[in-house]
Amino acid sequence: MGLPARYGIDLKELEVRYRELSRVLHPDKHAHKPAGERRISLGKAVEVNEAYRILKDDLARATALLALDGHVVAEGEGAPSDPMFLMEVMELREELSEARSAKDLDRVGALGEKVTAMRRATTAQMATAFDGPEPGGAGREHAELKALVGRLRYYRRFMDEVDVIEEEALG
Amino acid sequence: MAYSDKLIEHYENPRNVGTLDKGDDTVGTGLVGAPACGDVMRLQIRVNPETQIIEDAKFKTFGCGSAIASSSLATEWIKGKTVEEANALKNTQIVEELNLPPVKIHCSVLAEDAIKSAIADFREKQKKQEDKG
Repeated sequence: MGLPARYGIDLKELEVRYRELSRVLHPDKHAHKPAGERRISLGKAVEVNEAYRILKDDLARATALLALDGHVVAEGEGAPSDPMFLMEVMELREELSEARSAKDLDRVGALGEKVTAMRRATTAQMATAFDGPEPGGAGREHAELKALVGRLRYYRRFMDEVDVIEEEALG
Repeated sequence: MAYSDKLIEHYENPRNVGTLDKGDDTVGTGLVGAPACGDVMRLQIRVNPETQIIEDAKFKTFGCGSAIASSSLATEWIKGKTVEEANALKNTQIVEELNLPPVKIHCSVLAEDAIKSAIADFREKQKKQEDKG
């Protein structure tokens, strides 16, 4: 996408680059070309879509950067998260489930905002941990980064639940 | 991949959902999470210190159906067992019983970890008691 391999990226710039590339690679623009060239531009368009999907997602972007460094965070794998954090997540989940039973949408919304703020704090930490050291990723603390990715997953789960509750309420 | 009837049954009618008093010295609490998917599970046991038998077990799991079913089955199994026996429980037994698909095996691992961590917490508390006494 012509963007640096960093965690902190300008989402507006990403959007602009994506639109540009999509336009250039659009099949209609290549309809008159030979089959071989059409296939190549189509393949590139698919790659650009995939890259865009990953880059705009704060969790997928982190996982992809870790993979580039040779660190794969597999399903079910990961260091045990610290107990204080787990306790906090557990309490938040319990509060959310109470708010759901009570049909208290204001509380659901407030909890969602709280977790969104926590998520932002974590992505800010990640930007520092990914981009702070040498450009190109030398000296990154991968264990720390994996732990942060783990946190993001808990927040993601929480927000998924908030979405489900809010959709339910809308009928 | 179709889920087994047993799994669905535990998911729809989970046994032993709830909480025990964390401050009670005969209660052990295990809190575990799966960083790879964001599930959290709390499993608690109440043990008779004389007989070392688990008289009650409760859990609360925020996660997928397999995680809920795994913890539900785990509490059902360890009730009435001694701490020693419960500590020997293997996640593979849960996998077999619920016929968990490979992508959900980590849910059973989570349940095994939760039991072990609840037992460790209980033992820790008992040790403190002994040290005091």
